Amino acid sequence: MSSLVTFDDVTLGYGHDVILSHLSFDIPEGDFLGMVGPNGAGKTTILRALLGTLAPLHGTVSRALHLRFGYVPQRDQVDYNFPLKVVDVVMMGRYDRIGLARRPSADDRRRAAAALEHVGIPELADRHLTDLSGGQKQRTLIARALVGEPNVLVLDEPTNGMDLVSTTQILGLVRELHERDGLTVLMVSHALNEVANYVERIALVVNGGFRLGPVDEIMTEHTLSQMYGIPVDVESFNGHRIVVARREPSRVPSRV
Amino acid sequence: MFDAVLLFKDALYGALVIAFACSAVGVYVVLRRIVFVGAALAQLSSAGIALALWLAGVGAALGVATHPLVLSLVMTLAGALFFGAGGARGRVPQDAIIGVTYAVAAAAGILLIAKAATGEAHDIFLQGNILGITRTDTLVLLAVSLPVLLVHLAFYKEFLFVSFDRETARTLGYSVRAWNLFLYLTIGLVIAFSMQFAGVLLVFNFLVIPAVTGLLVSRSMAGTFFWSIGSALVAALIGFSLSVPFDLPSGPAIIAVSGLLALVAWLVRLAQQR
Repeated sequence: MSSLVTFDDVTLGYGHDVILSHLSFDIPEGDFLGMVGPNGAGKTTILRALLGTLAPLHGTVSRALHLRFGYVPQRDQVDYNFPLKVVDVVMMGRYDRIGLARRPSADDRRRAAAALEHVGIPELADRHLTDLSGGQKQRTLIARALVGEPNVLVLDEPTNGMDLVSTTQILGLVRELHERDGLTVLMVSHALNEVANYVERIALVVNGGFRLGPVDEIMTEHTLSQMYGIPVDVESFNGHRIVVARREPSRVPSRV
Repeated sequence: MFDAVLLFKDALYGALVIAFACSAVGVYVVLRRIVFVGAALAQLSSAGIALALWLAGVGAALGVATHPLVLSLVMTLAGALFFGAGGARGRVPQDAIIGVTYAVAAAAGILLIAKAATGEAHDIFLQGNILGITRTDTLVLLAVSLPVLLVHLAFYKEFLFVSFDRETARTLGYSVRAWNLFLYLTIGLVIAFSMQFAGVLLVFNFLVIPAVTGLLVSRSMAGTFFWSIGSALVAALIGFSLSVPFDLPSGPAIIAVSGLLALVAWLVRLAQQR
């Protein structure tokens, strides 16, 4: 598989503040990568560098020719007070293709309808944005990312603040897009347990450290304890891996 | 009653042009939650006018360079560039910077006027002088407003995208900073020219209340623009028409009608939700 994005000894940060340094990895075509780490660890910084909206302080980020990202932002990044219908939002994913100062064509509208069909909400096309549930909003944003016909689907915290059912449905949809359409997927999340059971590779971003590998290699007690700096247990339950922080024995002396 | 209004028909046309232009760009002012940027720009504009009047009062006017319109434009567009570029990002929150700009510009304007002209000038400064609009003024207002509105029509989807979701727009290659600057400049241009006649209060009203009415009545962008512009024109027409025969100040009369229309829109919305 050819590489779509390559980070070569990249240092990232803002101004004089270095967030992460010496990052070297690549994202091959067909990858299903989860980038996991606590809030503030630098996941979004890597994401911005990957998308090309943040220039590295050092090193190079190279992208394949004609590479196009389908970006799904965090839901709270979007202002739902705008009086827009679902189809209006989806259409935005084609704005750059439509061109400057031009209006969407019949073909653009057909593609927007197809994208909504693809994510399972064709009946919501004329629904107003404010009337949607969290899961429906997320599907709308995924449809917007897909309508631009991307090579890589990039999702930033797609299940943040969602209930169990919506989380399962959204992650299921993303996996379906990867398996059915062969789409390269990068999913950023702070929820290791959610992501680890869907993706094929994991990039851990913790405490200034970065480690990337297949799920089996990363989801070990040794690796996770080393990265997070606390002892953790990796349990297997019904085919799912669950990471829990190891409970230390109580150090409070008993009153005997 | 109508005869009295017809005596000031050129002023009425001017008020309608100001209502039209401000209420159109006002939709973005309200949706982007930059209402107080609008207020600060209006104050900067008025400070520019005050500066010009003060310079004229002390005999330091330098021809066109210190004309009220020129200084008002310079101050407003400088403010638009500053806020459009993101203001002074750092430890001080953006809304605090807007507050500082508003307060300092307002105080500077009042101080300059106090030392520049009569109390009448102070009234014009705050309330504007809608009745003083001539046919030439209206044509100037049209000459500025129409191109601005055509720009908004042409680049509707670009302004909408960078306002709605700047991060995604950025990933699709849009220069969000440049588009924001462009949008702010069009807003600043409309404010600076409107401020010459309408005063801080009325310009601020036209930037905010009609757009709020539009958002209350409609659930689409096109509908919001339609109702925003429509309610502003109706408010200008009724407020102006009532102010002349009843000898009321035109600006506050128009604002009162704007407020009433927004109230009606809110009540209708409440009734629909039940």
